[in-house]
Amino acid sequence: MATSTLLQVDDLQVSFLGETGWNPAVQQVSFTLEPGKTLGFVGESGSGKSVTSLALMNLLPQRQARIQAAQLLFDGRSLQQLSGSAWSQLRGADMAMIFQEPMTSLNPVYSCGYQVAEAIRAHGHIGRKAARERVLQLFSKVQLPRVKEMYNAYPHQLSGGQKQRVMIAMAISCNPSLLIADEPTTALDVTVQRGILDLLKDLQSETGMGMLFISHDLAVVAAMADHIAVMQKGWVVEQGTAEAIMRNPQHPYTQSLLACRPPHDVRLKRLPVVSEFLAGKWPGGEAQVRKELSLSAAEREAGHQEMYAQAPLLSVNNLKVWFPIKKTLFSRSAPMVKAVDGVSFQVYPGETVGLVGESGCGKTSLGRALLRLNEPEDGEIDFEGNKLILLPDRQMRAFRKHIQIVFQDPYSSLNPRMSVGEAIKEPMTVHRLHGNESGRRQKVLELLQQVGLDAAHYHRYPHEFSGGQRQRICIARALAVEPRLIVCDESVSALDVSVQAQVLNLLNSLKKALGLTFIFISHDLAVVRFMSDRILVMKDGKIEETGEADSLYHLPQKPYTKKLIAAIPGGYNV
Amino acid sequence: MGAFLIRRLFYGVLVLLGVVSLVFVLFTILPGDPARMVLGQRADINSVEAIRKELGLDRPPLVQYAHFLNDVSPLSLHQVSKREHLLFLDPAKYGHTIRLLHWNDYTLVLKTPFLRRSYQNKREVTAILAEAFPMTLLLASVSILFALVFGVLIGLLAAVYDNKFLNKLILILTVFGMSLPSFFAAILMAWIFAYLLADFTHLSMFGSLFTVDDYGRGEVLSLQNLILPAITLGIRPLAIIVELTRTSLLDAMSQDYIRTAYAKGLSRIRVIGVHALRNAMNPVITAVSGWFASLMAGAVFVEYVFDWKGIGVVIVDALEKYDLPLIMGSVLLIAVILILINIFVDILYGILDPRVRIT
Repeated sequence: MATSTLLQVDDLQVSFLGETGWNPAVQQVSFTLEPGKTLGFVGESGSGKSVTSLALMNLLPQRQARIQAAQLLFDGRSLQQLSGSAWSQLRGADMAMIFQEPMTSLNPVYSCGYQVAEAIRAHGHIGRKAARERVLQLFSKVQLPRVKEMYNAYPHQLSGGQKQRVMIAMAISCNPSLLIADEPTTALDVTVQRGILDLLKDLQSETGMGMLFISHDLAVVAAMADHIAVMQKGWVVEQGTAEAIMRNPQHPYTQSLLACRPPHDVRLKRLPVVSEFLAGKWPGGEAQVRKELSLSAAEREAGHQEMYAQAPLLSVNNLKVWFPIKKTLFSRSAPMVKAVDGVSFQVYPGETVGLVGESGCGKTSLGRALLRLNEPEDGEIDFEGNKLILLPDRQMRAFRKHIQIVFQDPYSSLNPRMSVGEAIKEPMTVHRLHGNESGRRQKVLELLQQVGLDAAHYHRYPHEFSGGQRQRICIARALAVEPRLIVCDESVSALDVSVQAQVLNLLNSLKKALGLTFIFISHDLAVVRFMSDRILVMKDGKIEETGEADSLYHLPQKPYTKKLIAAIPGGYNV
Repeated sequence: MGAFLIRRLFYGVLVLLGVVSLVFVLFTILPGDPARMVLGQRADINSVEAIRKELGLDRPPLVQYAHFLNDVSPLSLHQVSKREHLLFLDPAKYGHTIRLLHWNDYTLVLKTPFLRRSYQNKREVTAILAEAFPMTLLLASVSILFALVFGVLIGLLAAVYDNKFLNKLILILTVFGMSLPSFFAAILMAWIFAYLLADFTHLSMFGSLFTVDDYGRGEVLSLQNLILPAITLGIRPLAIIVELTRTSLLDAMSQDYIRTAYAKGLSRIRVIGVHALRNAMNPVITAVSGWFASLMAGAVFVEYVFDWKGIGVVIVDALEKYDLPLIMGSVLLIAVILILINIFVDILYGILDPRVRIT
């Protein structure tokens, strides 16, 4: 059977109206997609991959965006110069889309079932009851539990993975021939990601729809796509079958995307970054990286012996953090969620302890409890002989300069109205460090340089920086008070893999230079393993498994740890 | 939901108690003597003392306070045998009561709150309020309805056709509307529409809901008298609602779920009307409820200018004359209304936005 072409794009060009005129965001992009096949787009934020997909759906703001193409054929029909109502008929029915942010992509004020039913009713004359039946079928197809409850549930009552399943149900509700998935799993845990990816694959093989799959993570795209297009700064730099791209990447940018994720088999001293590849530093590709940067087990062993001979810097004993489920006026004994339920561990000076687990396992509550940002219910925290739980509030505040935290979201953890320099200086002022104002300002400039930013950035505001740069600012702010211990709470999870590599390298080099100790919290075991000496696996508020990082990664004992490792994209199965 | 209502009503009672106490304290410490106000310039010391005794003002403030609370509270303690007793259960005052407990000469009764009589004209405060309040309620409701309907409509248009000229025009109108003092607006409206354009509008410059008919048919309903004061009162909330609707709708339209709605293939009208508007409504409701509550407290200037016999006029008169029972009654009524509006609005938020729904 001759396969017809589902989507044919020739010389697509998208520009946005800026202050100085039309700025191109996507240039000369051409590709074809056949039914039942998946084309993956990969690239960093701002590479134009999302813009390409939104242009195909005509979802870009009409006044600010200009879409031009030599040819734009969908199912044999030209998509150029379609009227508004023609687009409405096409969208949702023949081409559907899943977005990156399941948290915000559903309307918070309507029930999940209603929103899916609305999509069905927009494209067919179907009664309320029949639409409801169809939604319930779809919900069980996307493997949502308790479908009838889910129908009436509102988005905020669902987990991220469940919301994304509702989005998928909505997208496939009218049996589209093209499904565009724009970073559908980026905001999700690795285990949830695996579930969503498997679901999308199953649905595709069942319905034979074509899929455009977009991600910044080449490993994820490789797991999904037949063909891959690598995008950089609006251009497609390399295009080919998934196997060719993964086995034999030609363009240095593609090579760098492949190499900047922590490898599974060897342990690297540091991760190679995109700029090094583009500068031609690694002509031998990944093989050369491995040869030059890998760290032998013997070297690690030697370091560990020295480290674990010391007295622990931090020891936590039977720590409990509970939250009341609901505040009531009259009763004081409200039911509690045991976020952290009797956790004990030690951290040695100069060590990096990885804390890993799915959302809701209590790892963030634990990290915050160490600084008493959440007040622990019970237990002991001993930091160099200081019993933190017993410290009065005033002394605890002063003590926080020894332990600092770098949060997940670099966008919301910086005050938008405070210049970067002020933000970094503030903790020093609070703790009265470095003598006077000019001493502190000097220190800020030093810190900016230390984290790879420029002294000229002092007076700029957070919105002028990219995600990676903002996380560098947060790191500089944490370093400002010269802490001994830094808690990194999902500090790289919101970043592209390429930027993630840079930030991880920065953390490691700072650790070496300043003699820091880290507690590194993440849901991504591959990243945690790259960073850590030891790993604690958390589940339901308790420590499930603990061990030396490499041996835990290669020989996990508990089924839960095995599940986490199996979910890593491009990873091997245990 | 039931627990929520009970809790809020309980807080409401606490608020009312606070209001009574505050008014009472202010009334006690401020200079001024209602007895002299009642008697006017002919007052001599004996008749002033007599009036003070009659009004109960000769007793210590704490006794007055406790007595007043006992009168206002629906659940109160009374004496049944001696007429001259302070707590005597006088049917002329308290009307129909239900006796709950009885021992010796004392009884615990359930009654409608007794707000006493006005110092000025000896009319029952409840009767005065029952006359004035519906007028205010009508005026406030009509003007807030006017502001809401037109405000949301104009705000919607401004957000949908987000163009420069329309936005400038709306900005000018809203700034004008918000900065126009209501007494001036009232006079301006009366002058333009009931004097200059009287031949076209057939409106009169002032008049209440019921006017005395010139041909001796007694009091007649004159709904047209509602138009000018309602619009005058509605101008400022209108200006604010337009601006709030516009900004919060623009904000809602930039959200991810709007993109999802378009991706589903919904029409522009449905996306805006169904998905964006409902998300944009919460700040508007906050504004509307606040304005409605403040209009209920009486729009003194507007009521004066248009001679609308509402609660605002009653309060100003009572304040002038140190008429404690009337002040107390009006303030309590307004507090009750504010409390009820707040509870209603909290429930309404939950209906519009399930994330803040009360369980």
